Formats: sequence, structure tokens, C-alpha cells
Amino acid sequence: MAKPNLLKIPVQKSAANPAMPRTRPIWSLRRSEIVWGYLFMIPFVVLVCVFTLYPILGSLRITLYNWNGLDNPTQFVGLRHFAEVAKDPYFWNAFKNTVVYTAVLVPVQLTLALLLALVLNNAKMRFRTFYRTVYFLPVVTSLAIGAIAVRLMLGRGGAQISELFGIDPPISPIASPQFALPSVILFGIWHSFGINLVYFLAALQTVPEELYDAAKVDGANGNQRLLYITLPTIRPLATIIVFFAILGSLQVFEQSFVLTGGGPFFASEVVSGYIYSYAFGGSAVGRSVSSVNIGYASAASLFMSLVVLGITIIQAVVLRRTRKA
Amino acid sequence: MTTLTNPNYPTKRRSRFLLEPLLGGSAQLAIHVILIIIGIVYVFPFIWTLGSAFKTSTEFFSLGLTPFPAGGWQVSNFVKAWEGAKFSRYFLNTVFVSVMTTFFVVIITSMAAFGLARLKIPGKNLVLGAIALTFFLPRGYTILPVFQIVKGLGLLNTLWAIILTGTAGNLLINTLLFYGYMQAVPSEIEEAAVMDGATVLQRYLRVVLPLTGPVMATVSLFTFMNSWNDFFTPLVFTLGRPELQTLAVGIYSFVGDTSRDWTALCAAATISIVPVVLVFLVLQRYFIEGFAGAVKS
Repeated sequence: MAKPNLLKIPVQKSAANPAMPRTRPIWSLRRSEIVWGYLFMIPFVVLVCVFTLYPILGSLRITLYNWNGLDNPTQFVGLRHFAEVAKDPYFWNAFKNTVVYTAVLVPVQLTLALLLALVLNNAKMRFRTFYRTVYFLPVVTSLAIGAIAVRLMLGRGGAQISELFGIDPPISPIASPQFALPSVILFGIWHSFGINLVYFLAALQTVPEELYDAAKVDGANGNQRLLYITLPTIRPLATIIVFFAILGSLQVFEQSFVLTGGGPFFASEVVSGYIYSYAFGGSAVGRSVSSVNIGYASAASLFMSLVVLGITIIQAVVLRRTRKA
Repeated sequence: MTTLTNPNYPTKRRSRFLLEPLLGGSAQLAIHVILIIIGIVYVFPFIWTLGSAFKTSTEFFSLGLTPFPAGGWQVSNFVKAWEGAKFSRYFLNTVFVSVMTTFFVVIITSMAAFGLARLKIPGKNLVLGAIALTFFLPRGYTILPVFQIVKGLGLLNTLWAIILTGTAGNLLINTLLFYGYMQAVPSEIEEAAVMDGATVLQRYLRVVLPLTGPVMATVSLFTFMNSWNDFFTPLVFTLGRPELQTLAVGIYSFVGDTSRDWTALCAAATISIVPVVLVFLVLQRYFIEGFAGAVKS
């Protein structure tokens, strides 16, 4: 952004009026601005380096060691952890669940969010703000506490819900091998639906009104305006919304960890929960993790990170292409 | 619910979409019926938790999905949660962590953004590029090295471990939010201050910072909400020290406890949800705009 040079002004002023007392020489002003500039950024840079960048690099090194998290990591194992991760059926089970979670949640949630956004974007619709508030509400509440509330509720209401859907004998959905993962997915849709609704509403606001007027003059009906104006116009933003939704879903943790504990028998365990059980002990999940091994957990984590990074890169390429189009 | 007054959110009457022919009379009614039914399902977990907080233990088991108690409303559950189950402690921990985290994030991100947006310093683009790049680095389980750093700093088993980690986690996006806003502040205002001999510190504190009200509100709200609701960081840092737990973690470990007082648990969940929901209802414009702004930028 082009800005007029702040530094020249006092100099010009002092040239016109050499007696002006408070003007300092330009080099001192510029130098003090540079010094202050760095001073202002020190807390930010230090914290980001220590708590974000270094840990990313540090976790790379840990993957090469056996480490219980207490003493210094001493036992070097090379790349053996990665081989073990790749061989562990529990990891692939968690990976499969994470992929299923993402593959179901993203299209379902985004389609519903777009539909509701279209409805709420229509000015003839009444109580729009009210609906938006209701559907956004879960977003501002804690995932963990929301999951606990739903867990208690389903625990108590399992019989009634089974009756409602004609399931006999009655089951508790979060404790059933068939319904645990669908429950986690449904909970995930419930909790973050409002974010995508608001994203789509924002995207719809970017469509210029003139386009609709022009289309009306040309005799386009409502559906044609949707297909040929609305959807193509919001496509770049919609791509970003999909991008965020996929990244967020692949990092699913509390939805499974708190709601079902990954159970029963790992039916709803996701990768983050798998890693947690190796990093901090697996009591919540029930797999007998004999000893905490942070090296192994880090290797599993890096493995997953690389998958996510790969998906990010693919999406970034797609994103760039749609922007050009 | 009042309509928005924000100019970016047009409220003037427009006919826009596919449902246009449907939105007259009975069809609009049908849509309302659907939206209200789903809406009730949507808020039902909250209503059920709120209602269960007033049930007796017997009612909790016998009433199933019925949200409200059949007999009297048991306020004693809140007393039990607050005093007996130490949720007053968790509540204070959560308030302390959230307020301090928000304070540090606002100070640190606004300072960094001021340096980047308003001062001519060499290497500025390098920092901006690094921020953008860091966004896309795989995060993974960096909590493990972070744990070691916090241990090295001697902050393990203090609330500062959660505050410091939480602050660091909220820096990148909020610095960019401040940066974008500060860049748009007209430079004439600051030039006038420079001519009056204002120091850099005065320019930051007296000129630029007071002009960033809306973005400061967004940053504070988001950070406070993230911090209040955060589960993972406080979970990891309080594994050995239950008295340092925040509400989310306290409630989670309460569920795992052997002596389960479910109605008190519902009361505790209510205590932890209500403040955030109230803040949201009062300031929802900033929430919604903040989220909408995030996707647009």
C-alpha cells in the first residue's frame, strides 16, 4: 500500500522554519522508527517462534526416538515408528473413520448450509435474524461441553429415540458399533453448521444486485438466476469454504473423544484420538497402550499432517484454477 | 430479534432466489414450520441440559428426554456443583485464563500489526510472508514440544502454561486482522501527530489504537470465546493438577469420575455455557461479521 513518506514532512517543515524546536534530524527519526518497529514485533515474533515454529521442527526430531515424555529422548529408532504406523490396523481404522467423517460431513453440511443461506438471504423471508441466531448458537459453545450434553441426553433418551425410529431392542446410539460414528458425524454437523451458514450468507452478499436486475429484464426466472448468476458468482468463495471445511474435519478430535471416547471397540476412533492415546495414555479409548511413547505419537501425527498437507496442496491448486476460470 | 443496522448487511427488500415463487403465503409458512422444527431440535441439547440441571436424581433417570422437571425445580444442584464439586474454582480459573489470554493477544497482535502496517521497517514483507506460510505448515501434535518448553520455563502446573500456549495459538490470524484494519487508517492522522512531535509509542497508543475499535472488538470476542471453550490445551496442562482445570476440562473429568452426580453436572454445564451464550446474544453482530469477514479476506 502506497503511503506518503511520513518522515519527509517534519524535514520540510524545519527547512521552511529552521527555528522549529521539536524537529529532530531525519536519520534519528528514521532510526528510532526502525528500532521501535522491531521492539513492537518482538513479543509476537518470540512467541510464534517458540510456540509455533520450534514445536513444528521439534516434533520432527522426536519422531526418530522412543520417548516416554519424562526423561530426555535417548533411544534412537530412526524411521521405525513410521513403518509401525503404516502397519498398525488401529491407525488405519482411525484414518478410515476420519476420512468417512470428512467425506460425509462436508457435502451434507455445506449443501444444507447453502440451502438455508439461500432461504435466509431472501428479503421476503421473515425472522431471518432469529433463524440465523438459532442455527449459529452451537458454534459459540464449547465442543467438549456440547458433546457432554449430547452424550448425557442420548444416554437418557436412547429408549425413546429407538422407539421413535422403530429400533428393537432399544439401543443408545453412541454406544452402538453401527451408530457411534454416524452419531459423531451428526454431532459434528450440528456444532459447526452455523459457521458455514454465515460464510455462505457473506458470499451471497457479494453478488451484485445489478446482475439480478439485468437477468430479470432478460426474462430469466428464479431458477435460472440461481444457476447462471448466483452459483457462478459465489464459486470462488464457495471453494474457500469447502477448503476450510475439509481441513477442519480432518482434524476432528473432541467430537469423537468426548462424545463416544472413540468407542465402542474403536468404531468411532479418529486419528487425533489415536495419537492422543499414545501421547498421554489410552485409558479413555480402551486400547491397552502399554506405555506412553511420544516418539510414536509424533510419527503418527506427522504421517497424518503430511496427508493433510497433501490435500491442502491439491486444494490450493484447484483453488487457483477456479480463480483463473 | 431486531434486524441488523450494519450497512454491509442490506435489509432492504429484495427478491432473489429460486424460492421466490414459493415465498408467498402458504409456502413460506411451510418453510417456517420446517425451520422451527429443526430449530427446536437444534437448541434441544441446551434446553435439556438446562432443564436437567433442575431435576432430582430420580427425575433425571425417569424422565428421559423430557427437558423440564416434573416436580419442583431443584436449585440445590447449582449449589452442589458450585461448592461441592469445586466448579467455583473451575469458573474462576476459566475467567482468569480467558481474560488474560484475551488481554495478551490484543496487546501483542495490535503491537505487531502496528509495526507492520504503520512503520517503515526493513524485512516487513519477510515477516508477512512467514505468517502466511506458517498458516499452511502442518500443525500435528506440536503440543508435545510445547509441553517441554513450558516445563523448561518452570510454568508447568500453573495457569500461565494455559495462558501462554493459548495466547501463542491465537496470534497469527488476529495479527492479520489488525494489520488489514490498520493499513486502512488514513496516514494523514498519524502525520499530524508526527508533526506535533509524537513518539512512536504515542502514535500507537493515542492515535492508531483508539481507531481500531471494531477490529479490537472482533479480536477480543474471538479470543475470549476460543479461550473459554478450549478443551485440548487445558486438558493436557492439567493432567496432573485437577485444581487448575477450566470448566470444559472439569466437566469432562467429572463425567469420568466414579461418584457421578448427573444433575449437578448439568448445572455445571449450564454455568459454563450461559456466559458465552449471553455474550453472543448481546454482541452477535460482531460475531457474525467477524466470521463473515474471515472468509471474505
